[in-house]
Amino acid sequence: MARLERIVAQMESGELSVDQLGEALKEAQSLVKQCKAKLYQADEQIKKLLEEE
Amino acid sequence: MEALTLYELNRRVRSVLEQALPDDCWLQAELSEVRTNAAGHCYMEFVQKDARSNALVAKARGVVWSNVFRLLRPYFERETGQPFAAGIKVMVQVRVEFHELYGYSLSVTDIDPTYTVGDMVRRRREILRQLEEEGVLTLNKELPMPQVPGRIAVISSATAAGYGDFCNQLSGNPDGFRFVTRLFPAVMQGDRVESSILEALDSIVSSGEEWDVVVIIRGGGAVSDLACFDTYLLAAACAQFPIPIVTGIGHERDDTVVDMVAHTRVKTPTAVAGLLVERMRGAGRRIDEAAAAIHYHVCRYLETEKRRLSDIVRRLPDLQALCRMREERHIDLLWQRARMAARNRLYDCRHQLQLIGQRIDGCDVQRLLARGFTLTLKDGRALTDASCVKPGESIVTRLAQGEVVSIVKETNV
Repeated sequence: MARLERIVAQMESGELSVDQLGEALKEAQSLVKQCKAKLYQADEQIKKLLEEE
Repeated sequence: MEALTLYELNRRVRSVLEQALPDDCWLQAELSEVRTNAAGHCYMEFVQKDARSNALVAKARGVVWSNVFRLLRPYFERETGQPFAAGIKVMVQVRVEFHELYGYSLSVTDIDPTYTVGDMVRRRREILRQLEEEGVLTLNKELPMPQVPGRIAVISSATAAGYGDFCNQLSGNPDGFRFVTRLFPAVMQGDRVESSILEALDSIVSSGEEWDVVVIIRGGGAVSDLACFDTYLLAAACAQFPIPIVTGIGHERDDTVVDMVAHTRVKTPTAVAGLLVERMRGAGRRIDEAAAAIHYHVCRYLETEKRRLSDIVRRLPDLQALCRMREERHIDLLWQRARMAARNRLYDCRHQLQLIGQRIDGCDVQRLLARGFTLTLKDGRALTDASCVKPGESIVTRLAQGEVVSIVKETNV
């Protein structure tokens, strides 16, 4: 998440070259996927725990 | 000279006496040397002592015939709580008798116990007054009675029925309280009561153990010898004893001075045991009450906490969904920002390239050549500095249309 935020901040600051931009976007996309996967997984886990109550 | 025989003389004395003192009279005197013979007759000495010096000033033999004594003794002892014995003061109705052979004696026909009681009361009052003057009268009473009187030092005689009653009562208490008792044996009747109880009190102190309470008990039943408990030394020792004393000396009517200075006084050994058990029960009740209060408050606290917890649990799924949504939105937002940043960046780059293209367009050589500017090359490179060529070297001049090859004549730098 922190990495994703840093990358977005870098992209927004314009300090990346166009070549780096592509790489950054690719990494950002994969980070978004990872983060969402983790979020859903955590969500499921919590739901299960709550049901066990 | 005519002489009387002894018998005749005594006879005369007897008749003179009988004439002079025909009726019974009441007599106040102290008893000494009281003894009863096998036939049940009681013989004694009446004495009178000088109030200051205590020296004998009068003395007379006395007798209570068995038929009188059989009734008189229990009556007296019941009324006074005193044995009919040496050392006490009595008021008796006597008939003065003189027997030719046995001489002068007083035959007791009745007794007034109230006089003896009064004398005992006087004596006790005297002892108590002295203790009060010394400032020790209520010391034992002022000691706090332990809440849990579990360790008990018993002063009694080992063989006394009262001691057995006391122990049975304690060990068989229905609540099952545990009492630790130890007997400090003492003589509980007769002349040695004072010294032996004092010794027992000393042993309790020197036992070096912690006692909650001292119990002085004596077998109940027969009304007898209580006067031996009415001594100054005993009362003083009990009053100043550092552990609360409970007495059960076993008399219904009178309190001895020991009873009066003791922390608590009850009638019988059984009652002493009852008192201690009740004391324990009181402590037990307070403990139970405290336990109940603790239980109640803990339950209430737990109830409140449980409610709070279940509130939280109920809100958890919503909170969790909210949390997830917030996180998801955050990620989406980041992704949008990333895409936006990339797009913007690309747009910027394209724009820049366009500008550069325009600038390049502005600088297009062909257009300059067309406008009459020429481009001079040396060895295929643009020549911009005259010092880079020497006379005789060839240069190429590019024109809008074709090239001119020239030989350098001179250079001016």
